[in-house]
Amino acid sequence: MLAIVRPDSWNLPLFLHVLGATAVTGATAATVVAAAASQKWPWLRPLVFKTSVGVVLPTWLLMRLGGAWSDSREPIGDDSTWLGIGYLVGDAGLILLIAVAIFSWIGKRRPEKGWPEKAVVGIAGVYFVALLVAMFAMSGKPGS
Amino acid sequence: MDRYQWLLFFHVTGAFMVLGGAVMAGILNVSALRRERPSEIVVLFRLTRYAVTSITVGMVVALAFGLWLVSDADYGWGDTWIVLALILWFVANALGGIGGKRDKRARQLAEQLVAQGDQPSAELQTRLRDPVSLALSWGSGIVVVGILALMIWKPGA
Repeated sequence: MLAIVRPDSWNLPLFLHVLGATAVTGATAATVVAAAASQKWPWLRPLVFKTSVGVVLPTWLLMRLGGAWSDSREPIGDDSTWLGIGYLVGDAGLILLIAVAIFSWIGKRRPEKGWPEKAVVGIAGVYFVALLVAMFAMSGKPGS
Repeated sequence: MDRYQWLLFFHVTGAFMVLGGAVMAGILNVSALRRERPSEIVVLFRLTRYAVTSITVGMVVALAFGLWLVSDADYGWGDTWIVLALILWFVANALGGIGGKRDKRARQLAEQLVAQGDQPSAELQTRLRDPVSLALSWGSGIVVVGILALMIWKPGA
């Protein structure tokens, strides 16, 4: 019931965090779909790279900074499993997203190679699932 | 997890499907505006179907579990934020639905052009850049962000 009586000062950080989380999830899905389709249509490869660098990373940053700001305001969930999952997916996710950006850049530069886009599909697909797990943990707050 | 947490999880899942799908559709829409060959534009329209499916299912899921949450938790049906959110839900659906029909006509033209030799077409570019279609589709996305803001700030609660 804490969500019902949330103080006003918590709202903007939470809004930015949720907006960033939804956007990074959609942009990651777009990356997976476009990378998978680029096996058949290689002209999609620049789109995969631009999406991973121009949309996924900025929205990840919005999610992460909004989350940190929100956590600094809200004395809720400290040391809890659901918050730990959120931080894990957020922080470890950056490594995966940088790998996605690198592989999508290689795929764009070398359209004759198929493996870079397969790597993008695999890594971005794993991160997409991790985002869904984090969404379950952050929204349902199991164990709280 | 108690019932409130489960309901909130499914409600948020619907919201993620809508907003995530809208971002995906936006990315593919911007990409389509930058292509000239009808066959490439058709591919981008086909990929957009994944986003549209996510938005459509998410809208229903978010509304169904949102209504359940209102009846289950200490919210009032007449609360300003709930009434506004429901109005905006219908507005977003109307804008997206009308915009989607106009996009469908552009996709059908692109498919015709593919069958006729796949040459760039000024008419197709005009339809893709139709300001009314763009305003409807992007306006629908902005309204959904407005619903998210209402869910966070809950004015009148």
